[in-house]
Amino acid sequence: MSDYLFIQSQDPFTEVRCAAQYQLARQLRDAGHRVHVLLVQNGVAPARLGARSEVFDALLGGGVTVSADGFSLKQREIEASDLKAEVTVGDVGDAVDALLAGSKVIWN
Amino acid sequence: MSDLKTLTFAFMDPPFESERTVTFFRLLDAALERGASVRVFAYEGAVALAFARQAPHGNAVHGRDAAEEDHPLTREWIRALQEKAAAKELGFEWINCGLCVDERGVNDVIDGCGRGGPPDLWRYASDAFNTLTIGTR
Repeated sequence: MSDYLFIQSQDPFTEVRCAAQYQLARQLRDAGHRVHVLLVQNGVAPARLGARSEVFDALLGGGVTVSADGFSLKQREIEASDLKAEVTVGDVGDAVDALLAGSKVIWN
Repeated sequence: MSDLKTLTFAFMDPPFESERTVTFFRLLDAALERGASVRVFAYEGAVALAFARQAPHGNAVHGRDAAEEDHPLTREWIRALQEKAAAKELGFEWINCGLCVDERGVNDVIDGCGRGGPPDLWRYASDAFNTLTIGTR
């Protein structure tokens, strides 16, 4: 079993490939790996309450843990209380922690 | 096992164009904050991040001169990270892809940033505890 952290800068509303990126995260989780997705930049957009993205909501329901970079949220005036329940507030430092822990960190 | 506290970053975005550049610099800062040494291999447009002749400018639309605008320059961010690493007695190395530099004519880089090629990325990645590649979509 491996640990994966995806730094997800792309969002499903402007990038068609985002659905495949989410799917890969889920497939790795289904294969028994630990998978976390850190949303950054416009990648935080689907995490907002009321944002309608079936592929993102499927990611949340698939056992993958998801956090959103607080800096990216602040830039977009999104408060923690505006996020979907499964999404926590994180930081890019979490990606560095993962690198230092030997995780496979992948930029999307 | 190689040096446990060295992280390598490969980056290809130019300055002043993408939010990725800001995120990239935040990652470098976070690595230093956590006591990790940093090695950067900059290629394609990212070789201009260290260009020494970047100049701040004012903003006539908002009626601000250069000092008031305080325009951020990536060469200054690199310098700040170099100083932070030195203060923490950590390594901070930066190599620009020489071919990419020549294509863009950005040979004049700030001190502490060198010139190399893809074998340096291989060396950096081989020696590092972990590597992150930030590709342009």
